[in-house]
Amino acid sequence: MKTIGLPKALLYYHYHILWKTFFDALKVPYVESKKTTREMLEKGKEKCIDETCLSMKIFLGHIASIKNQCDCILIPRIYSIEKKEQVCTNFNALYDLVRNVYPKVSIINYNVDVKHHHSEENGFIHLGKQLGFSKKESKNAYKIAKKKEKEHNQLLEEQGRKKMHSKKTKILLLGHPYNLEDDLIGKRIISYLKDKDIEIIYSYEVPKEKVNTCVQKISPKVHWTMNKELLASFIYFKDHVDGTILLTAFPCGPDSLTNEMILRKKGKNKVLLLTFEDLNSDVAILTRLESFLDMLKGGIHL
Amino acid sequence: MKAYLGIDIGSISTKGVIIDEENRILASSYLWTEGNPIQAVKNVLNELEKKVKDKDIKILGVGTTGSARKLIGTMLGACSIKNEITAHAIGTLSKYPSVRTILEIGGQDSKIILLEDGIVTDYAMNTLCAAGTGSFLSSQAKRLGIDVKDFGPIALTSKHPTNIAARCTVFAESDLVHKIQMGYEKKDIIAGLCYSVASNYLNNVAKGKKIVGQILFQGGVSKNIGVKKAFEDLLKTEVLVDADGHLMGALGSAILAKKNSKNEVFAFSLKNSKFETAGIECKGCPNHCEVIVIKKDGRKIDSWGNRCEKGSLIH
Repeated sequence: MKTIGLPKALLYYHYHILWKTFFDALKVPYVESKKTTREMLEKGKEKCIDETCLSMKIFLGHIASIKNQCDCILIPRIYSIEKKEQVCTNFNALYDLVRNVYPKVSIINYNVDVKHHHSEENGFIHLGKQLGFSKKESKNAYKIAKKKEKEHNQLLEEQGRKKMHSKKTKILLLGHPYNLEDDLIGKRIISYLKDKDIEIIYSYEVPKEKVNTCVQKISPKVHWTMNKELLASFIYFKDHVDGTILLTAFPCGPDSLTNEMILRKKGKNKVLLLTFEDLNSDVAILTRLESFLDMLKGGIHL
Repeated sequence: MKAYLGIDIGSISTKGVIIDEENRILASSYLWTEGNPIQAVKNVLNELEKKVKDKDIKILGVGTTGSARKLIGTMLGACSIKNEITAHAIGTLSKYPSVRTILEIGGQDSKIILLEDGIVTDYAMNTLCAAGTGSFLSSQAKRLGIDVKDFGPIALTSKHPTNIAARCTVFAESDLVHKIQMGYEKKDIIAGLCYSVASNYLNNVAKGKKIVGQILFQGGVSKNIGVKKAFEDLLKTEVLVDADGHLMGALGSAILAKKNSKNEVFAFSLKNSKFETAGIECKGCPNHCEVIVIKKDGRKIDSWGNRCEKGSLIH
């Protein structure tokens, strides 16, 4: 049986439960890449053009770190997961991009494009077929995986709800999961905030069924599915937290649009925008973070 | 008499003040950092010591701010190491209790602080771009062959400031060269530069912020009367510049030191110790963290920058 490599970046953070449960159900072995290191980022930078976002550079670095430990790497092509919407164009291009950057790496792929009638389920059936499983076997494994994913999401939502009532200073950390969870990006902020005994609510803890109604309060039509969750989480949590930190990787197209929407509609809520680039120093981020915390909960007086 | 020391170590200049318990400035010092914050602080301490030599004072707390706050704070055993936003807000509030907006343009960064009822409610700093900061002005002064100190008075003599593209420093610079070659008068170009700094600031840093009075303009660039006038013209309201505007960060950190004082007496003789710093690239893991080690008289007193376990942001 082939061993599948899962690079711990970008879509991994959206789909890792689904992927891993699916492969477990079919008894397909897989390996995950390690935590992001600066070395990975350097490798990734060498491989891509300057204009790509930091998260993409990290992703390409992960591929380099894992390519010799597996037989093929899972890279889906995701175009749309809602009918009239789209996800970041990087996710459309990921498969082709990696194929060109790493011509020798073997890729296993599935396609999700709801707009053009390619459902996620069909994608996974196709994925199973490439691994030698029947339609029935794959369908079954997908069902199990989907159930696990739902349970996981409910767990996250429950966590979010609980934290909303915490007595500590609360901060909504808003950003794509692949930025929040990355060791070079969000983890640095998270450990700093935790050290200051701050309750952190993550944007991905917003109840999924609230996303469409909440997002209406900011804009009736948001084209970018993944950013809808970010906007909705702001509306859902904003009055229950002391402040919100927008965490973004430079240069992210959809984020530049939705961050601006939040900043313009924040009203009295306190919002800090932190942009991550592949710079070496933490000092600039630290200054902004520190002064933001000073401002919360009544601020510092004379 | 009890006193407190505040030091603001910026990229361009280092400021130090000694205050009494009523937040009054007893002595101050303002020197260039010249790329050597440790030496600059020693010089500042020297000056301050001379100024308060006749007074019977005991310094019971040290506060630092500015981009080298951590380094100098460690060196001096500071009881308060605070970011510039908080320090500037506190310092300004002590002199202007009803201030609502602080415009600050320094050598390397610029920021806006909004206050309401004596509390910081919002702030912004220039992001990845250093457009329109003091270093831009001084490099253009060099290009025009004029001392940056004369910029303000010359700008005021201009009746028709040249329009210089303000969005981005790079474009502003090429536009400036173009205007010089076109034959515009120097004073008009200089006035245009002052306007471009002010409008750049309002378009980038203060974007979307409601600027209401009382407005204070601080930082090194506030000494440039041409930029002050440009702000007043663009905002159509009065903008105040305090004579001690450059000391507000140091004043604020002295006040914060007073609040956090551990009642340990600070001795000026510390400046005679030999401090060394070194940047080491840690090879322990693929992260290659840049670790800063600080030594006092040959002995290591602290290090930071390591991302392992605790992470450098924690230190």
